[in-house]
Amino acid sequence: MGRIKVNGVEKEFGAGEFPFNLSELLEMLKVDSATVVAEIGGDIIERSKFSETVIEDGDSVELIRFVPGG
Amino acid sequence: MNKVYEKLSKTVVGIAGTGGLGSNVAAALVRNGIGKLIIVDFDVVSEDNLNRQFYFFDQVGRVKVEALTENLERINVGVNIEAINIRLDRENIEGIFSEADIIAECFDDAEQKQILVETVLSRMGDKYVVSASGLAGYGRGNEIVTKRISERLIVVGDGYSGIDTEKVLTAGRVGIAACHQANAIVELIVDEM
Repeated sequence: MGRIKVNGVEKEFGAGEFPFNLSELLEMLKVDSATVVAEIGGDIIERSKFSETVIEDGDSVELIRFVPGG
Repeated sequence: MNKVYEKLSKTVVGIAGTGGLGSNVAAALVRNGIGKLIIVDFDVVSEDNLNRQFYFFDQVGRVKVEALTENLERINVGVNIEAINIRLDRENIEGIFSEADIIAECFDDAEQKQILVETVLSRMGDKYVVSASGLAGYGRGNEIVTKRISERLIVVGDGYSGIDTEKVLTAGRVGIAACHQANAIVELIVDEM
């Protein structure tokens, strides 16, 4: 079992579900990776590194989502 | 000089996109005596921009950053504007806004918003970015809020009302968001710079 926080909300995952990367997390959350800025533990993760960034037990992920219009 | 105006007069703000958000953020900052604006867009004024953007009917067809410079100079003839007619991308954002203290993200397209905010936060260490997300539609004015996401990122909007779902952009709601952005920028300048 492991827990991560996404935008302050705790999410539980079974022991066998780790590890997964940031791209996979966004897929699970049905978030379009082209329109999100991601921070893990306060560090910005560039979109080109989403699929190589491993999410670990205890990570705190912030996802800032953008919708069109201006 | 009043300390607020003194600080504003020494600050450089970049405006990424001069549509409904950017043209109105620029006007508010010029009215407040901002030191310099770097305004960037690649578009021309079209008739359907006039429902919310700070342009006039006789400017339809003109390059936006040139038309906006003229309009801003009609507010303050001595204003310092650098107008750049180019499409911003991951490669040119850093260079174009190198002189800016704060960058206002004023794009329409969600992917463009992502590119600008990510680039400022990951590669432009000392700069603030004031972005907007969720301002399409009409009404629900009080749902548009200013949120400090992190040290260098502020996002205004309701977070969910996109043009894809709401279908319309209105002068009132876009204007509320633009004024939230301008207000947040003034607060950053006065209180944190």
